[in-house]
Amino acid sequence: MSKFNFPFMKETNELSNLRKEVREFITTGINNNEFTPSPDAWVFSADPSFSKKLGSKGWLGMSFPKEYGGHQRTALERYVVTEELLSSGAPVAAHWIADRQSGSQILRYGNEKQKSSIIPRITAGDCFFAIGMSEPDSGSDLASVKTKATKTKNGWKLEGRKIWSTGAHLAHYMIVLARTSPASEENRHEGLSQFLVDLSLPNVKITGIPDMTGQRHFNETLFDNVELSDDSLLGEEGKGWKQVVSELALERSGPERFLSHFTLLDSFINEFRNSLIHSGTKIVGKLISEIQILRRMSFSVASMLQNGESPETQAAFVKELGNKFEKMMIETLREFSNIVPLHEWPNQLQNMFEDATLRIPSNSLRGGTTEIMKGIIARQLGLR
Amino acid sequence: MIEELEIILETTSKILQKHVNHSLRQNIDSKNTDILNLWNDIEKNGLPKISVKEKFGGYEIPFFSILPLIKIVNNHGTPLPLSETILSNYILSESDINPPNGIVTFATDTKNLKINKNMISGEILSVPYLNLTKNLLIVHELNNVKKAILIDKINGEIIHKKNFLAEPRYDIKIENLNIAEIRPIKNNIDFNFLGAILRSAQMIGAMEKVLDLSINYCSERKQFGRALSKFQAIQHQISEMAVELSASSASLSTITELGLGEKNSNDAAILKIRAGFAAGKIIAISHQVHGAIGFTKEYELSYFTKNLNSWRNDFGNESFWEEFLGKRFLEKNNKNLWEYLT
Repeated sequence: MSKFNFPFMKETNELSNLRKEVREFITTGINNNEFTPSPDAWVFSADPSFSKKLGSKGWLGMSFPKEYGGHQRTALERYVVTEELLSSGAPVAAHWIADRQSGSQILRYGNEKQKSSIIPRITAGDCFFAIGMSEPDSGSDLASVKTKATKTKNGWKLEGRKIWSTGAHLAHYMIVLARTSPASEENRHEGLSQFLVDLSLPNVKITGIPDMTGQRHFNETLFDNVELSDDSLLGEEGKGWKQVVSELALERSGPERFLSHFTLLDSFINEFRNSLIHSGTKIVGKLISEIQILRRMSFSVASMLQNGESPETQAAFVKELGNKFEKMMIETLREFSNIVPLHEWPNQLQNMFEDATLRIPSNSLRGGTTEIMKGIIARQLGLR
Repeated sequence: MIEELEIILETTSKILQKHVNHSLRQNIDSKNTDILNLWNDIEKNGLPKISVKEKFGGYEIPFFSILPLIKIVNNHGTPLPLSETILSNYILSESDINPPNGIVTFATDTKNLKINKNMISGEILSVPYLNLTKNLLIVHELNNVKKAILIDKINGEIIHKKNFLAEPRYDIKIENLNIAEIRPIKNNIDFNFLGAILRSAQMIGAMEKVLDLSINYCSERKQFGRALSKFQAIQHQISEMAVELSASSASLSTITELGLGEKNSNDAAILKIRAGFAAGKIIAISHQVHGAIGFTKEYELSYFTKNLNSWRNDFGNESFWEEFLGKRFLEKNNKNLWEYLT
């Protein structure tokens, strides 16, 4: 089990000061009605002007190198900023994917032109990304993607469809996983490549798919023989699988895996503090203990990323525990309605709760299902 | 100090590997020479006094730093109260009492305790391994001061012997026993917190073993023509054990690194909640994947799961510490939850 260590990291004074600074910025924003906190804001609540403001504060692309407009700060500093944004339900969806994974992916695997043309725009809050992994016939079985890129005289021709592409209708680019040569008999992971695709190109068609709450963030993205330039290839041809695995480590380990609905919990406690003192100390204690451990583990993963490691398994642990915690939290709040009936909750809180109840099934699907997380862990335990 | 600790951990593993086996665990008795030999080896290497001050002949390695040692001792399923002795001796030493040689056990709880001059009476509850030693530590609060009380000739009426556990445990009624030493504990250290931390570290050591046993068993056992470990239903259950264990271990290393101060005393509560919850899951899953063999006395799984069952109830179960955390947050301040957590 020693390989699943989560080394302890202390939050230094510098980090605490940064935390304060972000918190003040957010409080001012809420007080000036610049935004309304909302749950699951990193998926649902996009506000390009807010993203731009964060960019000008230096809170996007924080760990990116200075030569590309980044701030060369640590992954731990970025962690603190994201925690503050998530816990307050700030409208971060527009830039979230670009800042969390696409930027790092380009810096790690991209060529000079890709880096210098895109990274500074991500850092400024001007350039948004969507994820190009799932397809209508490829969900958990990602290696089975059928989207195909074929070499042409001037570059590549891209053909296929991606689905569940959150925010693609607002995004400028998508990192698309596509097959560039057939899978070999022994290894299905061969022959995949990643492409940096400009979504404004001709023959890219983006169609919204309302989710079960009725809101739009999902899309289907059709690539109908899209002509890509030669330098659209991200990283190495045929090495797409290895690349996408390290992208997923960035996607899975962050605090959004347990703080998506924190604003609901916060409002709930503020509203019912007195009732909770009498009949809810145990449930509040349970929630506190779970959040603190998840923060501790996720912060530790950030330190591993900082050290240049690729903690895919640890990320799976955080995601799995975080997803469980959020479901447990919603159930706990529901049970509390035995003490104060739901219809006596303030309207806004009722809405948040009902909304969260509808959204919660998606948390153990997006970014890899529970079953996939457990499979990753089982492989590390030597069972597969 | 870290190097020193590394060497100690290595030596301890070697000693335990040499002595501990499942038949030793079936005969925990002061007349069993194998038990005595093991203790002699442990004592010769100074382990009981690892956190005792140098002036009392100890290594003076802080108690919180040696939690990895507690983990190893219980990973091996050592049928001796070395963990109890280490904590007892640490508390004695912090109270400026020279710890005695040999095994020192402690009272997990007490009832109707009365102290009159140098005599003590009352019910001393759930004392582990009382059959192996005469040395007992009681921590008791007198006029808001927590005191360490050492009895070195424990004697009395056994009112309850717990037969269902892996380790022997006794409730004993004592009357006018001589107190060997009584002193206030430095910094008013809370025994309940230390006990909760100790039991959590023990649980984590045992849970690591239970996970290993489960992985090994499922990899070897074949049904329907393939190893159990090749069934996805089994893989997912074992993964869940690993998830629970990793959360507990992360929580333990917070204490190992930070120790326990006023600022982070919540971390001890969080640790006991997490380890206790994990133990519940891990007991259930490990037995489920082992089938009937795990339910036998002969196979060692049950030694560990029985211990987990008793340790998760010692020094406050999950509900106790959840109440503690919840009350502390709701009653003692007006901060928003997020401000409080950060």
